[in-house]
Amino acid sequence: MKPDVDTVMQGFLMTLLGDIAPHLDAEYAVGNTGIMGMMLLLAGEEYDRAADIRAAENAEMRSLFGGAVSFVDDGRLKARLNAAASGKDTSLRIKALDATNASLLALLIELHEYVEAVDTSSARRLEERIWDYLISSTERRKLTFPLLA
Amino acid sequence: MEDLVPRISAYLAHRMPAASNIEVSGISRIHGGASRETFRFNAGWNEGDAKVTRPLILRRDPVASLIETERDLEYNAYRAFHPTGLPVPEPLYLETDLQWLDRPFFMMEQIEGCLAGSPFNPDPYGSHAEKVGRQFWMHLGRIAAADPDAIGFSTNLEPVAPDGAAARELAKWEKVIDEDELVPQPVARAAIRWLHRNMPSPAERICVVHGDYRSGNFLYDEEGDIRAILDWEMCHLGDPLEDVAWAADPLWAFENPDRPGGMISRAEGFRIWEEESGLTIDPERLRWWEIFNSLKGLAIWISAGKEYQTGANRDPVLAFSSWYCTDVHNRVLARRLAQFSREARA
Repeated sequence: MKPDVDTVMQGFLMTLLGDIAPHLDAEYAVGNTGIMGMMLLLAGEEYDRAADIRAAENAEMRSLFGGAVSFVDDGRLKARLNAAASGKDTSLRIKALDATNASLLALLIELHEYVEAVDTSSARRLEERIWDYLISSTERRKLTFPLLA
Repeated sequence: MEDLVPRISAYLAHRMPAASNIEVSGISRIHGGASRETFRFNAGWNEGDAKVTRPLILRRDPVASLIETERDLEYNAYRAFHPTGLPVPEPLYLETDLQWLDRPFFMMEQIEGCLAGSPFNPDPYGSHAEKVGRQFWMHLGRIAAADPDAIGFSTNLEPVAPDGAAARELAKWEKVIDEDELVPQPVARAAIRWLHRNMPSPAERICVVHGDYRSGNFLYDEEGDIRAILDWEMCHLGDPLEDVAWAADPLWAFENPDRPGGMISRAEGFRIWEEESGLTIDPERLRWWEIFNSLKGLAIWISAGKEYQTGANRDPVLAFSSWYCTDVHNRVLARRLAQFSREARA
């Protein structure tokens, strides 16, 4: 699809701010134009990376669950970790990746809570791994704030 | 919007039976406040032989909002603080009868000729940053120093015990996340567990808590003087360190915790606040309130996302908050909580 999505979004932002906003009288409409312009830039950034981020996160969570199986005594949680660890993404559509991502995140929350209650060196290592994952996930998803003049 | 004009005129006539020839002009919706629809307008009328004009603000409940609050809380805060000399607009009328403007609303004085620095600008106050910053922390200290009973703020509010303030606020915002999250929130859930495990010591004193005291929620003039502290929708009784931590939250400073709101240094701001409030900032208790406030932020942004997603409110600022602010608070919390976890396990 050409021109590229981020190029189009940047162009739309310039049109909104340069050509449309100056002709608006209502301050509420002008303010909304600015917000929507910024959102176009954020959407352009996300369009390019969205599938990559979600696929990477889903793979990392499955790997983390696979490594946690031997640590967990709770039979039901162990079975769910095993099942999740052996899953894979069958579609790269964002909504499909998001649905899987949400399901894996729910399991991650359960595992995290479980690990926090255990005071052993392996629990410490697993908790560190969970935090490493959460930090890298939040950094990976960081949105670049559009600084408009 | 123009259909509001005759309705506002009719309301003012109802409120001011001695006034005649009431005219409402220049009505304009103000951008930014998603918890209320805010309009500025000029009202003119005759009182006997005298012609009176007054710029006013109308704050009307939206159909759904970023922050679900009751407008009488905010109105009551203005009513309580206006006589104290704290810079707040004079509240005029609170109306809950839906016949006038379909939804509850209140009217207050409009403070003219002022600016509100954007919280999403790395240098919102420019050359006034020092002067504005000193007043910012001084006024917050004055809010904490006020006696909530003596100024009438506590009227109709449930009493809060010093050892109950933290649990009360945590329960309130945890419930918002429980009800409004559209996807599982592992960082928010970890924060909630940490907050429950590390409940703080009791508040030094129960004070008025503004609830959203930050850059962008006050007006200042061209001399750099703060003229109005606004947006009291989330005010309540509680631990004053809640406000200190919210004012210093990294979200309002482009994640630069050393210069909250792009104003003065955190250390200098805290010193001014302690001097003005007569209270002490306990580092351990402050740390709890810092984590709490980043969680409270997440709750607000998560809730905003739900409002937009469900179509309850399609104000673009809700979508922006849900995307950008959630992203910042998730990062801030993940870094800090991971560090606490390492320290606790060491």
